[in-house]
Amino acid sequence: MKRSIALAWFFIAAGLCVATGCTREKSDAGQDQNRITVSAWVHSGRAAERAVIQDQVRRFNGAQDRIRVKLTVIPEGSYNAQVQAAAVAGDLPDALEFDGPFLYNYIWQGHLTPIEKYLPASVTLDLLPSIVQQGTYDGKLYSVGVYDSGLGLYARRSLLQAVHARIPAGPGDAWTVKEFEAILARLAKRDPDGRVLDLKLNYANEWYTYAFSPPIQSAGGDLINRSDYQSADGVLNGPAAVAAMTHIQNWIKHGYVDPNLDDNAFTAGRVALSWAGHWEYRRYADAAGDDLVLVPLPDFGAGSKTGQGSWNWGITRGARDPQAAAIFIRFLLRPDEVLRMTAANGAVPATRTAIARSKFYGPGRPLRLFAEQLLHGYAVPRPRTPAYPVITSAFQQAFADIRNGAEVKKALDKAVAVIDQDIRDNKGYPRQ
Amino acid sequence: MPEIQRGAVAGKSVHNPGLGREGPAAWLMAAPALLGLLIFMAAPFILAVGVSFTNLRLGSPLPLEITGVEQYRRILGDAGFQRALLNNALFAVVAVPLQTGLALSLALLLNRSLRGVGLLRAVFFMPVVFPMSLVAVVWMLIYAPGPDGMMNGLLDFISLGAWQPRDFLHDPVWAMPAIILLSVWQGVGFQMVILLAGLQGIPEELYQAAAIDGAGRWHRFRHVTLPQLRNPLIFVTLVTVILAFRLFDQVQIMTQGGPNNATTTVMLEAVRAVFDRQQVARASAMTVVFFVIVLVITWLQRRLARQEREIE
Repeated sequence: MKRSIALAWFFIAAGLCVATGCTREKSDAGQDQNRITVSAWVHSGRAAERAVIQDQVRRFNGAQDRIRVKLTVIPEGSYNAQVQAAAVAGDLPDALEFDGPFLYNYIWQGHLTPIEKYLPASVTLDLLPSIVQQGTYDGKLYSVGVYDSGLGLYARRSLLQAVHARIPAGPGDAWTVKEFEAILARLAKRDPDGRVLDLKLNYANEWYTYAFSPPIQSAGGDLINRSDYQSADGVLNGPAAVAAMTHIQNWIKHGYVDPNLDDNAFTAGRVALSWAGHWEYRRYADAAGDDLVLVPLPDFGAGSKTGQGSWNWGITRGARDPQAAAIFIRFLLRPDEVLRMTAANGAVPATRTAIARSKFYGPGRPLRLFAEQLLHGYAVPRPRTPAYPVITSAFQQAFADIRNGAEVKKALDKAVAVIDQDIRDNKGYPRQ
Repeated sequence: MPEIQRGAVAGKSVHNPGLGREGPAAWLMAAPALLGLLIFMAAPFILAVGVSFTNLRLGSPLPLEITGVEQYRRILGDAGFQRALLNNALFAVVAVPLQTGLALSLALLLNRSLRGVGLLRAVFFMPVVFPMSLVAVVWMLIYAPGPDGMMNGLLDFISLGAWQPRDFLHDPVWAMPAIILLSVWQGVGFQMVILLAGLQGIPEELYQAAAIDGAGRWHRFRHVTLPQLRNPLIFVTLVTVILAFRLFDQVQIMTQGGPNNATTTVMLEAVRAVFDRQQVARASAMTVVFFVIVLVITWLQRRLARQEREIE
């Protein structure tokens, strides 16, 4: 009896502890009392990326005694949902990292404050044009990224050579989709299970939109009509989009695509080609060594297109001290810090200074293609509209259905109906 | 005479005196629980009903509008939501009897004093302890497509090579059965333990008396075991039905409702509406519809169970 009462007290105490965060308070108290606390949320990312941001925060906190950054790491799978929930509860942090295309919705909902007045021109002028483009809404800069992203096809050079495939020299020289399909067929003939292409179907969520809207744009379609962002009809379900999605569905139907449940299709050597982002470079380079080659996504008719945009930093409207948050963000944009982060995740550095010093993105370097795609207009930003969360949700559903063999036109029609309904419900998302 | 006492308690319909007759002390003691129910159950639900008649979107700066039954009109006309209702019903209809039957068989098998039976019970109970997310990820590997997948390999072995390897989780026909199988595997241990406890509460004398009356194995099971297990069985079925309607975790992780809505559920549709698309009103309408359905089922089930008790 006595023991059970003691146990009950223990659980009550533990419960209170969890509810009030008593363990955290203890370590915060003491010499930090005079410092400004900046709370910051980041996506958890890969282990190496996480280690860098944690190290950056540690060094930032150690290097000065005015500002103290408190970092919270959140899994990216449900990141937007968590931000929305925190916004409703009034619990947003001061500095918020978020996936670029969600920016416009956050601005529309009034969560973010323009960032340009907190950043000197020397910082903003040094940014990649794609970062500025993505971060600007209604003429104001709201967010900056430490890096931008690259999407392409990683391949094993020896396997391509074995089937006499041409290796494209740059984004202007991409395989046509016809050429690509012929290469798939030849590769499949030599492969024991015929599965030669990895589309990272194990990822789901935002990956579907990021990776499989470029083929639609390359065919001449898009996710939404960008002239006024009021409808997706005739664009997302137009003949170009249907054709592009049908190509991809056929690759799956023909058994070319490895389901990649273990995320090791390319590293284990099961496939010759992997449709993947910059974040895979390190792992792939370790696995394939000198045999690794990076080529642009196939051209579906209107030239090769690729994705862009990545995680961005913004300052919330409720930030207690926006200037302090901006100082932390400026710290992250220092060339050394940018290079540290991009060395860990393989991403394209967001500043020209850092790119110039990068071992990966200079001319002739292994990831030069990603830089060229961003510099020369092959990368298409995701639709810059507050409707983006609905657009991506609808497209993800459509792609999942298409991937599972649904009729392409029907699946895209359904997505268009969902998107257009949402835009109507929101009165066309008028500027606030 | 324990069996007479038990019979007396079960036979008499126990009258619930209600709070009113107990006076203020009862209200005082019930207050914390009632308050909790009010704040965490009643208030959110009433709010959900209210919200479902508006166009509320999470975080939208546009003014709120009353839209009447528009949300209900939309979801009831939505193929995804209709399919979700159907899937929940299908899951309950298949999984509940299967899981309860399996739990009963396991309980009967393990209700004997053999050496190592405790270990066996622990083994069958273990999946209940694992988080569903972990179970789902492991079963994704079991259901891996192609001849290398464990399930495909097993079926190939059993059928002596006649089995054609399938991509279970992306096959419109097989995805739902695959989800049901793993859910039953994960949940059966819980029911088994409850039924096992029930079995061990059946007095040995009843079996001896039945044996003297010349009852065989089957008759002893049918006329002693089953009636004595009535209450645990009712409990187990009720809990399984409610869990069946809450189906979400494994679907979210393994199929995201696909292929082509084959495994979508009401919970999944609601969570998607509110967290992916910020449509709070739409999700509220879904949960209200869902609540009404679960309410009706629970009410029906309670009625049936009570009738049985009265017949006794």
